[in-house]
Amino acid sequence: MSMLEVSSLMVFYENALAINNVDLRCQKGEITGVFGANSAGKSTLMYTISGIILDIEKKERMRGGERVTVLGSIYYEGADIIFMETSDRAKKGIILCPERRRIFPESSVLENLKIGGILATRAQAKKTLDYVFTMFSPLKGLKKREGGFLSGGEQQMLAIGRALMAQPKLLLLDEPLLGLSPMMEEILVRAIEDINETTGITILISEQYARPILPIIHHGYVLENGVSVLEGTSQELMDNPDVKSAYFGI
Amino acid sequence: MDIVIYGTVNSIVFALIAVGFTLVYGVSRIPNFAHGSIYVLVGFLTWSFVNDLRMNYALAILLSLTIAAVVGFIMYRFILIRLRGMATSEIIASFAVSLVILEGLRMQGIGGFKGFIGPFYVLRPFIEGKMNIWGVFVDFQRLIIIGGGIAVVGLLWLFTHHTKMGLSLRAIAQDERAAMMLGVNSDRTAMISLSIGSALAGLAAVIILPLGSVTAEAGYKVLIYALAVSIIGGLGSWAGAVLASFVIGFAMKISTAMFGAVWESVVLVGTIILILLFKPSGLLGKQKELEERV
Repeated sequence: MSMLEVSSLMVFYENALAINNVDLRCQKGEITGVFGANSAGKSTLMYTISGIILDIEKKERMRGGERVTVLGSIYYEGADIIFMETSDRAKKGIILCPERRRIFPESSVLENLKIGGILATRAQAKKTLDYVFTMFSPLKGLKKREGGFLSGGEQQMLAIGRALMAQPKLLLLDEPLLGLSPMMEEILVRAIEDINETTGITILISEQYARPILPIIHHGYVLENGVSVLEGTSQELMDNPDVKSAYFGI
Repeated sequence: MDIVIYGTVNSIVFALIAVGFTLVYGVSRIPNFAHGSIYVLVGFLTWSFVNDLRMNYALAILLSLTIAAVVGFIMYRFILIRLRGMATSEIIASFAVSLVILEGLRMQGIGGFKGFIGPFYVLRPFIEGKMNIWGVFVDFQRLIIIGGGIAVVGLLWLFTHHTKMGLSLRAIAQDERAAMMLGVNSDRTAMISLSIGSALAGLAAVIILPLGSVTAEAGYKVLIYALAVSIIGGLGSWAGAVLASFVIGFAMKISTAMFGAVWESVVLVGTIILILLFKPSGLLGKQKELEERV
């Protein structure tokens, strides 16, 4: 059974269509990838699955700004959650690790992780904290450093660690490789694979730079202008001539 | 010597008044203009409980603080929740609540309710008497203010750094949406912050008011002090609020000692203008400054 099932999802910003009739499934325990260029709708998709879109809609409505409309359905563990609030979705295990990381800048590394662990029990938090520090060992020496003073790679490690502290069942990673060096990319890709293998957390990952991610996903989708134009397993996507020319330059 | 002691007392009075306001603003970005009215409300309730209902002093204080927290909760749940993010409307609405409370407290004779008449609403000091510190006579209530102020700030620090609820308040204050993604409910946090902020305003009232008498006008004065301290300290910065309290507190006492009490309000306003001239975002208003630079 698929853990997450998005069906005929449409998201409008005013009259502009950001997500157009997208169907997407995440199988339990697998890594699912969503690829696409800038403005293909990846972040909007992530915001819609995590519920942030409802907050955007509310704030825009209050200040008389853009009208945001969401249509369709998102089934998570069998129930439609399309109108559920972000914090309630988080309690059910959908945790978004957002684009550009959004670390709490005035809190130390340890406090960022503690804030991540608000939903966890004490025992869970301790166990996850150990796991995070073993996987991302550079963070260990920076416990007291304020989040705002970390490098991009360190911030990304912290953001993933913080999301793990919230005990996700479905982890949404929005552009985790954005602006990182190839070396850091490799570390993170390996970490993401490790999270999936050792903890069994289902992962949905969006990335415009598909090359390092493609080999580790089980199933993937390609978005173009809000439309899902292609889907398949990791191998199918890598063998597809369009994907090859777009992402591998062959 | 008396400047040091009375300056410290004065500064801590400012800090006590401002800390609740800063907490609410820092967490929910709501400028709570009803802050001063809750201060007076708690003073009035405590006085009424003790004098009209013959209640135990400590019990009266606890009960009024609970009522203050409930008022804060109701104010958010039924009024401010509809206005989130519209600063002007938030100010108007909370100031309206403030007017209702303060002017309502002056009402007479509706359903047997007796509001403020005359200047005899005086809360008893916790402990009577004075003490000689390095040749200066200080009454115990002023010492309680110092102790209480330090305790409030200290406990608040512990609360916001070491409890889950406190951490969620700090998370929302720093990045609302990132906190939501981790399971923090924004509305509930704002509601809690308003309750705690109101209770803190009340706590300031019961500690400070025994020095003088309870009047409705004090509500407006307290609001202005709270605003002044938060603006000077940098809106939403808690450390800044404490620092600003000391700057204003000592500036006022020193000027009183040197030029006389008439200059007090001039010095207060003058300090605000001077600091804002040189540091428009306030003493410790870091975030704002970064935004300005970008």
